[in-house]
Amino acid sequence: MSTRILTKADLAGLVADLLSAGTRVVAPARVDNPQVAAYRPIASFDEARLDGPLPPRSPKEFFLPPTEVLLRWQKKKDGIELQEVATEHPKQVILGARPCDVAAVEILDKVMGWDYRDELWFGRREATTIVSLACRGVDKSCFCTAVGSGPDAQKGADILLVPSDGDAYLAQILTPKGQALVEAHAQRFGEASGAEAAKSFREAATRKVASNLPIEATKLSGWLADNYEHELWKRLAMRCHGCGACAAVCPTCHCFDIVDEPEGIDRGVRRRNWDTCQAGKFTVHASGHNPRGTQNERFRQRVLHKFSIYPKRFGELLCTGCGRCARACPAGMDLPEILGQIAKLAGAGVPTGGTK
Amino acid sequence: MNLYQPYLMRIEEAVDETPDTRTFKLVFQDPKVAESFDFQAGQFGEYSAFGEGESTFCIASSPTRKGYIECSFKEAGKVTGALRKLGVGDTIGFRGPYGNRFPVGQMEGHDVVFIAGGIGLAPVRCAIWNVLDQREKVGDVTIVYGARSVGDLVYKRELEGWAKRSDVKLWQAVEPGGEAPDWKGEIGLVPAIVEKAAPRSADAFAVVCGPPIMIKLTLPVLEKLGFSEERVFTTLENRMKCGLGKCGRCNIGPVYVCKDGPVFSAKELKALPQEL
Amino acid sequence: MKELRQIAAKLLTDGAVKVVIGWEEGPRGARAAFVTRPEDAERLIFDARCVQNLATYLSPRRRHVVGLGKAAVVAKPCDAKAIAGLIRESQVKREDVVILGVRCGGVVREPTMPASLTAETVADRCGICETREPTLYDHLIGEPQPEPPRVTRREEQIAALMQKTPQERFAFWSQQLERCIRCHACREVCPMCFCEQCVADKTRPVWIESSSHPRANFAWQMTRVMHQAGRCVDCGECERACPVGIPLNLLTRYTAQSVEKRFGHKPSDDPSIAAPIGTFRSDDSQEFIR
Repeated sequence: MSTRILTKADLAGLVADLLSAGTRVVAPARVDNPQVAAYRPIASFDEARLDGPLPPRSPKEFFLPPTEVLLRWQKKKDGIELQEVATEHPKQVILGARPCDVAAVEILDKVMGWDYRDELWFGRREATTIVSLACRGVDKSCFCTAVGSGPDAQKGADILLVPSDGDAYLAQILTPKGQALVEAHAQRFGEASGAEAAKSFREAATRKVASNLPIEATKLSGWLADNYEHELWKRLAMRCHGCGACAAVCPTCHCFDIVDEPEGIDRGVRRRNWDTCQAGKFTVHASGHNPRGTQNERFRQRVLHKFSIYPKRFGELLCTGCGRCARACPAGMDLPEILGQIAKLAGAGVPTGGTK
Repeated sequence: MNLYQPYLMRIEEAVDETPDTRTFKLVFQDPKVAESFDFQAGQFGEYSAFGEGESTFCIASSPTRKGYIECSFKEAGKVTGALRKLGVGDTIGFRGPYGNRFPVGQMEGHDVVFIAGGIGLAPVRCAIWNVLDQREKVGDVTIVYGARSVGDLVYKRELEGWAKRSDVKLWQAVEPGGEAPDWKGEIGLVPAIVEKAAPRSADAFAVVCGPPIMIKLTLPVLEKLGFSEERVFTTLENRMKCGLGKCGRCNIGPVYVCKDGPVFSAKELKALPQEL
Repeated sequence: MKELRQIAAKLLTDGAVKVVIGWEEGPRGARAAFVTRPEDAERLIFDARCVQNLATYLSPRRRHVVGLGKAAVVAKPCDAKAIAGLIRESQVKREDVVILGVRCGGVVREPTMPASLTAETVADRCGICETREPTLYDHLIGEPQPEPPRVTRREEQIAALMQKTPQERFAFWSQQLERCIRCHACREVCPMCFCEQCVADKTRPVWIESSSHPRANFAWQMTRVMHQAGRCVDCGECERACPVGIPLNLLTRYTAQSVEKRFGHKPSDDPSIAAPIGTFRSDDSQEFIR
């Protein structure tokens, strides 16, 4: 891993270079409402809001779009003809994504590559270079440190930028893809010094987030697996509407539906669409039987999938502690609060403050 | 071809087993696939009616028979309704084989009991034929099959054939009131018929499929008869979409039915949360 | 608040209800509370951050809440209108719910904001609201409240949109609805969206496609708004729940304005006042229906 330095001007120049070469650049950027930023393609560096608020939506839509065509079919006289969809995409750079958002992408690689390689996911992954930006910590709903991550986590990033002295960024080059980007734009990356300056930024951010939820969520997996019928689940989700806003904004939620959509009398597409285990009909059988028929059961599933089932299967928590679910919930369901309650029950309230 | 792209299949035969259950014999349109396609008894696929969607059924034919597959399904909704409207010569899609398998290889040298109710005979049928096509490899073969009425029995022609075989002990049953005047089989519920049949349980294997309530009542009967819970197998049904472990829908407790199942032993079933 | 807590505790102690649905302090602000023990009534609060419409929890679709038993629910005047809607449409029986009406001087836009009402912080709907207390209640609680700050920003936005040409309006909504990811949060939080099977979930036939693209997004939003015409009580929950920030209340408010203009109907917490669209009267002003 090597370290370089970029001034803000260098960064602006890098973006200009990428854009003029036809590379799409996605960054947290201005939208109509000045209170809000959104991850979107930018047409110039001015549009980016790297120091702005955490975008309410995660950048997962650049790897798993809300709707995605899987194949096209056409009825012919003698049968059906299938047309493939592209799995190779033009190069893009995601710039300034938060470490929580970026860690999620690497976590999802596990399920997307489990035995059957999802070419649609990996096609977008391969085309994308991820330049993340270390975070100051957003508010009391952040809990990245509790899930083994941190405001300057490296997981999933090709290059990690850390704000440094004098309006500059320390750039940690983490992967061959990151290295390739640096080499292609070598004039924008200076020799590094001042690694110490970034240390105080990182420590302050880590302390701030760690104080929100001083537990180790990895230690909850056992209790969760053993306490399926616990009293906690019976009252935990009374206020939950099953609206799925949490899943919509979550960087690691990936459940999807597959539907056929005619586009004419004799042709159509098959799509996959975002779905959520919180929806009432998610598990309903053709017979009408619904194994998870009440909201408490559905909410339990969400917590279990993220903190017990996925880690047991893939060795990773399906959560990066970004806190969006708590911010988005219209009814006040609060995952950091719930994890704290479970940690108490599990006897797993161990303070943590490390980063990976 | 991405992983969601199905094989194109031509419907070669379409048989209505009951007023709402149909069996398709499907042939791969691509001769190369027809030649190379292989699967194991117990596995399933996603079958599509283009324009309507996909639906999950087991592969009901045996892997010992090459070049085609069979599936049986009940009309229950949009996709199965559309499939029922298709007939010989039409094209559907098939993605698979997915999931795990019945341990047919382990059954060699042992007695095997097949127990099914209603359309639950479909997933068991692939294992039955897998075993019968290599009959000398296993010991006694007992089949206990029941349905609500004579009209609800599926694979009637094959039942006739199995009844005539001297190397198969077949018990057929219908529920009280479901018999026809010339019914020569049993009258009662499957768990009770299994108890009556009392197949030898020493080192034997059992495969059980049917409505959840039937399975729930049959497993204790097998336990009482002395079957080991590691040698009793069933298939789990759960709402599925991708069939290959990505979309999250079929996840129950620590397992994904499409990847860790659909075949589970009675022992594994006990360890799963009772969410079914 | 003391009065509210006392009444709630007594209802639970007497066994008159099994649960009191109100608001409590959550980690991020005021949120729904389900109090089942009299000693927990202390958790109940009421202030300008109590934005959430609790009437939704009375819907029979909420089986986990229904399972708790008879409920008392704390209701602002707008929430009481939603309860009246559920009673009017036979989803709840009047005698099956105890309504704890609260006098209201308006709420802020988000329950996470401080409870200080100003022209900037007040919720759009409160800016034009004339109702300081419900008429549908079993208990009426709280001191009389002053009028909320008068703002008409939403009405002005609607008027500005109506000044535009239809093409311009379509372009505006195309841009807004592009963000719609079909999560249906708007539906799930709405007290009047109580259908066991929503038209958007039907598959035989598919009336409204479930994918997130312009054709389907328009079909969904237009259908939902039309299904709410004359029934929506303007609680604002749909727009608040939307995770992608679509200004849904412009649609719901405009529809309410149209219903008021054509039928002389405003949302009411009197269950005996019939909803205009679902009711036939022989003196209906619409000729075609006679």
